[in-house]
Amino acid sequence: MPATAGHAVALVDHDLCDQCGLCVPLCRPGAIRLGRHGLTVDPSACDGCGKCVAPCPVGALGMSRA
Amino acid sequence: MRSVDVLVVGGGPGGCVAAWEAARCAPGASVVLLERDPAIGAPVRCAEGVSAAGVREFLEPEGAPWVSRRITKVIIVAPDDTEVPVASKDVGYVLDRTRFEPALARLAAEAGAEVLTATEATGMRRGRDGWEVAAGSERGDELWRARIVVGADGVESMVGRWAGLDTLVAAGDMESAAQYLLEGIECDPDAIYLQYSKRWAPGGYAWVFPKGVGVANVGLGIKALRGDGRNAREYLDSWVAHRFPGAGVRRFSAGAVITATTLSRTCADGVMLVGDAAHMVNPLSGAGLVNAMKAGRLAGRHAARALREGDTSAANLQRYHDEWMALLGRDHLWYHRINEAIQGLSDEVLDRLARTVNAIPDRKRTLGRVFAQALVRHPSLFPVAARFFAPRRRRKKSPPPP
Repeated sequence: MPATAGHAVALVDHDLCDQCGLCVPLCRPGAIRLGRHGLTVDPSACDGCGKCVAPCPVGALGMSRA
Repeated sequence: MRSVDVLVVGGGPGGCVAAWEAARCAPGASVVLLERDPAIGAPVRCAEGVSAAGVREFLEPEGAPWVSRRITKVIIVAPDDTEVPVASKDVGYVLDRTRFEPALARLAAEAGAEVLTATEATGMRRGRDGWEVAAGSERGDELWRARIVVGADGVESMVGRWAGLDTLVAAGDMESAAQYLLEGIECDPDAIYLQYSKRWAPGGYAWVFPKGVGVANVGLGIKALRGDGRNAREYLDSWVAHRFPGAGVRRFSAGAVITATTLSRTCADGVMLVGDAAHMVNPLSGAGLVNAMKAGRLAGRHAARALREGDTSAANLQRYHDEWMALLGRDHLWYHRINEAIQGLSDEVLDRLARTVNAIPDRKRTLGRVFAQALVRHPSLFPVAARFFAPRRRRKKSPPPP
């Protein structure tokens, strides 16, 4: 479900992110990637489920306002 | 575009052993390993502990430069800090993974594999004869054609997704981990400590793995869903303040431990997944390093066999999956159930259990006697015991090389 309806999307705080990759396999649509340039969230792929937020070991993920 | 027979994605222990074994078993085949990070073995996101028997299947640890500390004791710590020594013999080693993985990569290179660092696989699609894998590095974008791709790309694995395998992890099977390398701490440098407690590490456990005298990997894993809203790092800060006040912090790392059982499908046409990418961590202990190497060895052998037979289909690679399940994967189904049962125990029960076990004299502390005493005194353990003794299939002997 692309982000056309103005729903919340995951945001990463790059100052906090330790690049452990934990959130990547939690993301059903595959919106989160960990590459050599760090963690990226594709807002157009994020379905706003929020399942990546609580498990982040360092609290680097949050949801944008819808 | 470069064409290779085997392309290994990920230079952790699983990927290095897969490349090593594929090159060793298929002389003349081209084997290339791509590692995203600039150096093999870094950054470390791991407590670095391995069993002596496990690591010895691959390399001799005695006197090796990649060993930080030999471990001869395991101490289980109850929620109220009661210590229960549970083993004291040749237990294992705490490694220096910044040296261990380079040693594995060297063996892969000596066997004929090519190891490329700072090279990230960015996408993959099925071509005429195998896979076309896009990669990015400072050299620019490049395209690889590979008859077999081994996905050893860790918890953040993409190879499985690209190959159409279901690699999604449920939140209940994800352990969030945080670890400090602490110095100036007081603990037995020959012992690893594991503390099970809902208060300190809900859904997981806290650990001390010594790297030397007064220096240790000190960390914990939690299940976020079972916690109180704090993240793993916050739980760790509380525990360190309680147990090692005044310790010096040398390094922090966050990590993920997937405590699910092995993926139901680890193979696709021309693809095998290895280690964390295939959810091969022991769901009870959270240990995955030796498991990844064992899977890497199987994958390397089956890659060589599939090339020899000229059949890299999922059906032919399925033997890799089957042998992994016989070796360890089936045991993990059982460990997963025990893990769930242990997590149901309250801190009060664990505290009482620790005192019961400590009341049994050391030399009489056989597993059977511990169980019998524990069950007589703590009937609430019966559901755990029922799972522990539930019928399970016997593990087969290690499979012969194909």
